[in-house]
Amino acid sequence: VREANAYLDAPDKRCVDDLTREFIAESQEGLDRMERCLTELETRPGDSEQLVGEIFRSVHTIKGTTGFLGFERLEKLAHAGEHLLGSLREGKLAVTSELISGLLRLMDGLRAILTLIEATGSEGTRSGDDDTALIAELAALNVAGPVVAVAATVAVGLQTTVVPTAMGAAVAALSDKTLRIDVEVLNRMMNLVGELVLTRNQMLQSGVEATNFPELARRLDSVTADLRETVMQARMQPVGNLFGKFPRMVRDLAQTCGREVRIEFSGQETGLDKSLLEAIKDPLTHAVRNAVDHGIEAPAVRVMSGKPSEGCLRLRAFHQGGSVVIELADDGAGIAIERVLAKAVERGLVTAEQAEGMTEREALQLIFLPGFSTAAAVTTVSGRGVGMDVVRANVEKVGGSVELESKVGVGTTLRLRVPLTLAIVPALVVRSGGQSFALPQSALVELVYVPKRDEEKAVERMGAAELYRLRERLLPIVWLDRLLGLETLNGEDRHGFYMAVLEAEGCRYGLVVDDLLAPEEIVVKPLSAVLKEIGLFSGATVLGSGMLALILDIGATAARAGVKPVEEEIKEAEVLEGNTEGSEVSLLVFEARARERTALPLDVVERIESVPLTQIEYAGGRPLLQYRGELLTLRDEGRVLAELEAAQDRGEEVSVTVLICGGSGKGEMQRTGMVVRRVLDVSGGMLLEKDAASDEMELALVKDKLTMVHREFSVKAAPVWKEVA
Amino acid sequence: VKILERDAVNEILNEDDAVSLCSMFAGSESFGIDTRKIREVLGKRDLQRVPMAPAFIGGVVPYRGEVLTTVDFRALLGMGEHTDTSCVLVLEDEDGEERFGLVVDAVGGVVTVNRNMLEANPCTLESRGKWLFDGAYKMETGLMVQLDPQKLRPSRLAEAGLFKHRLNGEQA
Repeated sequence: VREANAYLDAPDKRCVDDLTREFIAESQEGLDRMERCLTELETRPGDSEQLVGEIFRSVHTIKGTTGFLGFERLEKLAHAGEHLLGSLREGKLAVTSELISGLLRLMDGLRAILTLIEATGSEGTRSGDDDTALIAELAALNVAGPVVAVAATVAVGLQTTVVPTAMGAAVAALSDKTLRIDVEVLNRMMNLVGELVLTRNQMLQSGVEATNFPELARRLDSVTADLRETVMQARMQPVGNLFGKFPRMVRDLAQTCGREVRIEFSGQETGLDKSLLEAIKDPLTHAVRNAVDHGIEAPAVRVMSGKPSEGCLRLRAFHQGGSVVIELADDGAGIAIERVLAKAVERGLVTAEQAEGMTEREALQLIFLPGFSTAAAVTTVSGRGVGMDVVRANVEKVGGSVELESKVGVGTTLRLRVPLTLAIVPALVVRSGGQSFALPQSALVELVYVPKRDEEKAVERMGAAELYRLRERLLPIVWLDRLLGLETLNGEDRHGFYMAVLEAEGCRYGLVVDDLLAPEEIVVKPLSAVLKEIGLFSGATVLGSGMLALILDIGATAARAGVKPVEEEIKEAEVLEGNTEGSEVSLLVFEARARERTALPLDVVERIESVPLTQIEYAGGRPLLQYRGELLTLRDEGRVLAELEAAQDRGEEVSVTVLICGGSGKGEMQRTGMVVRRVLDVSGGMLLEKDAASDEMELALVKDKLTMVHREFSVKAAPVWKEVA
Repeated sequence: VKILERDAVNEILNEDDAVSLCSMFAGSESFGIDTRKIREVLGKRDLQRVPMAPAFIGGVVPYRGEVLTTVDFRALLGMGEHTDTSCVLVLEDEDGEERFGLVVDAVGGVVTVNRNMLEANPCTLESRGKWLFDGAYKMETGLMVQLDPQKLRPSRLAEAGLFKHRLNGEQA
């Protein structure tokens, strides 16, 4: 055994030759296929012919190749399995639960040997590596004596189940490093690289002054874009690869927990970047385990409440507006809100009064708080709660988000939303202490500018802590230059400061920077281990100017500055409450028609963009804007575009201010753009009585001035809200 | 670059003993690194400093589509800030696993020396020096201290703990 450990500690790559490595990768894939087929076979024993054929083929291939490579132990085990499968294929045996369990153990056994070969180069001949028990079990199953089989199952079960868990990490390692690519895609890549080389040669020969230089630069640009797209495509993997692992896991878990669970998939072909697929693997596995363990009730309980005894787990993947959504829905007990609240109060996460006033949606968010997930919570709260904060943190780390919906007695739905790719992210570049930093847009909520004369007033102090009052809500201020120990600019040079309001891992805070540079699509480059250890930077990027900028890890920065997620969550809850129940709302006030104040509810406006007029395109008489891969229809009520066109004809360079409007961040609604003359203010306002004459508009008093408020956005968004609450 | 005298050249005609070193300077001292371990000499680059990084990290610099971490050699020796003629060398360990940059004041040229002429570190050397230096060659112009790139790797330096903080007398 000591020898084996020494082998495992220092796996020598050279002892496994290319041929063997290829064999291992192929066999692992075969076993993955076998695993899928086996679990499917159990659910549908009726049409076993094709499935058994498939399983037989994968084991047969392993047996055939091992004989050739000289792995006798593997061959012997595979042979025993093949023999059993042969009987099954000829119809001599019936598909029983024992048989499936036996075959699954055969698979674990084969996998363990493969892992050993990968790590040490040999299949192991020591006493611990004896397969006779397993082979005997398979033989016993072949005789079709279920009683004998069970006896053998117990003995072998204990021994074999330990091996694969210890080896699990190594198995993952190989599949992480290799990737199957369509030859077509690879050829296209090669062509593009050829094109790139040709263009470079031409550029080198002609020099910068040449007349065709702009044309060459354009060609280089388009080739680069094509190449980037093709490489992205090659990195895309169907999420089905990830889903494939779940049937077996659900089956085993259901058996140990005494549940009856069926798992259904849709959208397996949805593509996701390989690194992202790896990143959501753990959170999703965790969530599936939770769903089986705590979501779905015991069969007896289900029948009592009028549901079929078999619970159903639905895994769905689909595209939605530039991101991939992975949805896990169960038809289990749902999460009992009262118990969540009781637990949260008990743990001191919220006060009793706060708990009193919470809506269901807000209460559900409590599950994601770090303090909530403890062992005690699992047993006393029937819902989920084990490490949900970890699930959320992992998903947010790759720029995604997590949503949870639940109805008592009906079930729970967990939604993981992840970006299509990791490598390129939109970011805002800021400057602080003479250095550039990139903030991922996904964490950016809004930007506040505080001019120098207002600085004293804007920053309020409570002890040593500094706060900013943002729409009557206190926001902790973090000075980036002080946090990082950079030189602070002197009083003379300062013009005031910018504050980026950021939100990550449940923390919301204002990050003070000296200056804002342009928003850019940045290419994320990893940092070396020593710099990763600092823990504040998630990577670096080369800016358009050729300078490097460090990418700030928003969550880690919050933690370093001592911003706690708990308090912030509660504050947010209070604000949300104010929005839904009071008539006081936050409004973005702007001018669309000349001399008229118009407003939109603030939560509807995602972003304010300034776009060159030339980027506005027309189709069928309607103005359109291409925005982040979406086509936005523009509303131009004040005929601003026509006026600007006139200005452009006079030779002026003009840009249009467009409000990008979405549906309360829910994404269910199509985004639209609203063309405005200028943005005036953000402020709270009192809604007046609804004006019967205009359906779409409502009057409000904002800072004692009459303002028209667009209502159709919030009306449309409202049903979504109700559905959730 | 100093051309070796004839008998010195004869002495190292036996190829097994010949080592070519790339000479470089930090402060008034000269150092040498085996040319086989040097991937590229980048020359003067704008380094992006990394806040909160250990003192021996010079910063990061873009290099062939990667972000290269650099080690500030002057900081390792406990010298003050760089003069503006700093120069970046790209070093790589044998199996190519860790690639990093070394920031020195200037890079000289390639000199060929006899491996047998290497003098061991003196026993009076302080602990930092013992870690960094790998003996010295006696040159006409003075001693050229040999460096082992393996020991200059940022991850090794971080483990060593000797270089976490700046030397006494300078700001922490």
